[in-house]
Amino acid sequence: MVGVFILLAVPLKLPMGVAIALSALVGALAGGQGFALRHLVEGAFGFFDIILIIAAAMIFMKVLQESGILDSLVAALLKAFYRNKVLLLLAVMLLVMFPGMITGSSLAAVLSTGPLVAPVLMKLGLARLKTAAFVAMGAILGMIAPPVNILVMIMGSGVDMPYVGLTLPLLIIVVPLAVVIALGLGLKDLKIVSADEIKTLLPESVAERYGLRLYLPLLLVLALMILQNLNVPLIRDLGLPAIFFIGSLSGLFCGRRFDFLKATQKAVEEAMPILSILAGVGMFIQVMTLTGARGWAVTTFLSLPPALLYAGIGVSLPLFGGVSAYGSASVLGVPFLLALINKNALITSSALSAIVGIGDLMPPAAMAARFSAQVVGERSFFKVLRYCLVPAILLLAMGLGVLWLAPLLDKIM
Amino acid sequence: MREADAIHPGPALTAARSLSDYFPSLKGTPGDTPVYVYAGATEGGNVLIIGGTHPNEPAGFVTSVMLIENIRAVRGKIVIVPQANASGFTHSDPQEGSPQRFPIATAAGQRWFRLGSRVTNPIHQWPDPTIYVNPTGQTLAGIEARNLNRAYPGKAGGNLTEKVAFGIMELIKKERIDLGIDLHESAPEYPVINAIVFHENSADLAATAQMELQAEGFEFRLEASPPNLRGLSHREWGDVAGIRAILMETPNASHGRLKGKPSVELIIDGKDKFYEKAARLGRLFVPFGPDGIPLKNRVARHLAGLKAVLSGLKELDPGKAVEVEDLPPADRVRVEGIGAFLR
Repeated sequence: MVGVFILLAVPLKLPMGVAIALSALVGALAGGQGFALRHLVEGAFGFFDIILIIAAAMIFMKVLQESGILDSLVAALLKAFYRNKVLLLLAVMLLVMFPGMITGSSLAAVLSTGPLVAPVLMKLGLARLKTAAFVAMGAILGMIAPPVNILVMIMGSGVDMPYVGLTLPLLIIVVPLAVVIALGLGLKDLKIVSADEIKTLLPESVAERYGLRLYLPLLLVLALMILQNLNVPLIRDLGLPAIFFIGSLSGLFCGRRFDFLKATQKAVEEAMPILSILAGVGMFIQVMTLTGARGWAVTTFLSLPPALLYAGIGVSLPLFGGVSAYGSASVLGVPFLLALINKNALITSSALSAIVGIGDLMPPAAMAARFSAQVVGERSFFKVLRYCLVPAILLLAMGLGVLWLAPLLDKIM
Repeated sequence: MREADAIHPGPALTAARSLSDYFPSLKGTPGDTPVYVYAGATEGGNVLIIGGTHPNEPAGFVTSVMLIENIRAVRGKIVIVPQANASGFTHSDPQEGSPQRFPIATAAGQRWFRLGSRVTNPIHQWPDPTIYVNPTGQTLAGIEARNLNRAYPGKAGGNLTEKVAFGIMELIKKERIDLGIDLHESAPEYPVINAIVFHENSADLAATAQMELQAEGFEFRLEASPPNLRGLSHREWGDVAGIRAILMETPNASHGRLKGKPSVELIIDGKDKFYEKAARLGRLFVPFGPDGIPLKNRVARHLAGLKAVLSGLKELDPGKAVEVEDLPPADRVRVEGIGAFLR
């Protein structure tokens, strides 16, 4: 299946989503499952919710751009923080992480606050690709950070571990990395500008014309995300797609006038490649399971001798995460958590979630890298990955280190 | 998967009801499900047996069907809900590639049973929240909003799964249930397996049953229900309804993460080379050899467990004893197969 995919995607240059779907079909035929229509459709629907989230978030992003909200917010942020670059970098990192912290999704972070902070960083001198890496890493750290880490929840549900007592282990992993990565990526390149200079850098703001209502779409989306997690009736059942869509609709009344239908069409058109990849990946996983390839892969990694188990974790979780971070947490994270059952499960699941998070940088899906590239206007996310390499190695080292030191941390905590 | 499974109750059936008879708000919804009542001539206790909480765990469902088609209550009352999450029987888990049904040969011909999903059908309850805060306030991954065994004690005005859980709590109240037994299966790599999970109010009952089972050659672990793991039947039935609560787990390779090709044979014969390998590597919590763990053996374990729990109840609380006849004997099920006890 992998060979067919490479053949279709590289020399034949088929769109990635089509290549993955066709390789799944070939896998089903070769595995003696025939055309396996039921499985191809069922597998594609495995990511239906995520597909809707991406489509809705892309529309939201486009609305922020078209209505002038984005430029106005960037101008406001620049005015507030241009004097102190350490403070600016840390504040921006927190801002990127925030949606991930409350939704457990790196994608939500990249697509909601990513477009806000990226222009700020670039205006102050951070290179475009480094900015994208900053957004991608911030979003992944937000996904891992408390209070909501869905990766741990998924692993916890596989071993009947309640989602309680995870704040400290997750903070131990995330806080040092957030500081180091933010400063490491930005401190050298970011420049301090004078009050006069900043005026020339500010994008056109429509804030004076529309006042505070300009900020309503973003505030509405963040408020709905928080209220959803607080189990507020009606809002708790909205789901992220509806939240982004409500935010998009509110944008119609809060800034410059624009053609909503055209903006929607453009957003969906831009999102289509990743949407098709996700549908294809869903088919691919289902056929892998159907042919026994998934079971073989999981058993092979679990067969590694104890000395190589950590290497297996470090390689397999991010690799599978390139297909789906949530899938990786469920399919591999749970068996690894059980393999390490003699250690504190809160600490090990936190560390495993950090390692799974790296998967959002890995092809084919590479959700965080792909969309952060889009946020800075870069077509190839592979260029962004170059600048994510060191932060990702740090994240991997932190995850493996916490796994290894789990007994010691258990005593300290 | 839209076609309901045929269940043929035995002649001793006292009443056939629906969960909506206990909670009318479920009427006409995909959450409504059949309830079978077997009442004895003599006063005694009342026992609830639930199968199909997770429709991808066939031993619980099939055991419930065998009870419905065979037993006769002599003393007390037995209430059986074979497909507790009826909606979960109408779809499959994406990316699991599982068969949608499996056959069992009987004297009257082949019968088919549905293999569903662990959770409610998203056609019936959608979208999932980003995170799910269950009726007890426990925070869980969003998909768990459709897991019946995280939704107790349910909510009258909640989502469909919470309504089903609420309906079962209403049934417990209205039928004056004394003991609830929830039949499950777990993946061989999962530590709570071949086990009786008990609410602390049922520790004596679980221990008594375990001793009887050991005497009969069945190894069962005892697992106390963790007080901080909320929303599960063995926790909330005990805490909220105040009844004795037991959950039983048998090992099922067909819904584990290490399984090879998902197939009807894997469900029925329970053989899998990857699980064999994992067992050799010490990664499993049950022995798993070339013979696998067939469905008939898993059903036999449930039947033996039920018999031992009922026997324990009689010993510990004679006034609440429930006595049944024609309970399919575990040793015969292992030899003759499930079909020998189906109509």
